[in-house]
Amino acid sequence: MNLKLRALLRSPWVFHLSTGSCNNCDIEILDCLTPRFDVERFGILLAPSIKHADVLLITGIANRKSTIRLKRLYEMAPKPCLVVAIGECSLSRGIFMPSYNAPVPVDKVVPVDAYIPGCPPKPEAIISGLVQLIQKIKGTL
Amino acid sequence: MTREELLADIKKRFSDDIMEFFDRSPRRVYIEIKPSSIVKIATYIFKDLQARFNIASGVDSRTHMEILYHFTLEPLNLLISLRVKLDRKNPRIESIAPVFRAANWIEREMSELLGIDFIGHPNLKRLLLADEWPQGVYPLRADYEEWDKNAIRDRGV
Repeated sequence: MNLKLRALLRSPWVFHLSTGSCNNCDIEILDCLTPRFDVERFGILLAPSIKHADVLLITGIANRKSTIRLKRLYEMAPKPCLVVAIGECSLSRGIFMPSYNAPVPVDKVVPVDAYIPGCPPKPEAIISGLVQLIQKIKGTL
Repeated sequence: MTREELLADIKKRFSDDIMEFFDRSPRRVYIEIKPSSIVKIATYIFKDLQARFNIASGVDSRTHMEILYHFTLEPLNLLISLRVKLDRKNPRIESIAPVFRAANWIEREMSELLGIDFIGHPNLKRLLLADEWPQGVYPLRADYEEWDKNAIRDRGV
């Protein structure tokens, strides 16, 4: 395994990006960071800038305007950068699939490493997804 | 001024401009007016009756292009909706943005999403649509068709 990736898994810093979500997924992510669910016990911290982050969390559909910003953010991220798509909108666009403003799903714009389904996913599901992502990289899953 | 006095006053003052007066409920009145008299009536309701301009909504109803201008009169707990019906082929109406600035952005939005031309608008350019969106394609019209050949319209399963 990549040395950088192994070092990253000790404490993955996440950057949270909403590409046009309804904010429900964002509220659930916020729940994960609060003491009740406390993802910091896995070393997961919210990074203030993409330049400090190892994991990019995406919520919401990639619409025509935010796709450009999403691509730019992914290019700015130090590699290796893992991408996690959270919620039905960023997985398959949900009810916005025929929308004029949502031409492609997120995984056609940037490579996605983990998908967490749900509308919105429960905090437990988000934690499970993140833990599975770490296990997948380690090769123990 | 009570509700009845106010409505009678509007009816009397604009008897030539009102096409249909629909008193739907104690809180809701729809007034269909001629498109040419929108500025006159909106100015009167906003400036003289001290109503609040809530929002305008555009609807493509297949036979007409409709705009509803919603005004609230809070002391009377009344919502007045001015309805105008425009020609679908060439929807044009005079802008009310020079009268009150709250109408500026909603008129820009209606012009880009429904293709309604607002005559006399101070800054009628795009508000929400992406830059690559082609000119002359209006996504909220009933006959809108997909123009993007790269768009994926299935869930991939």
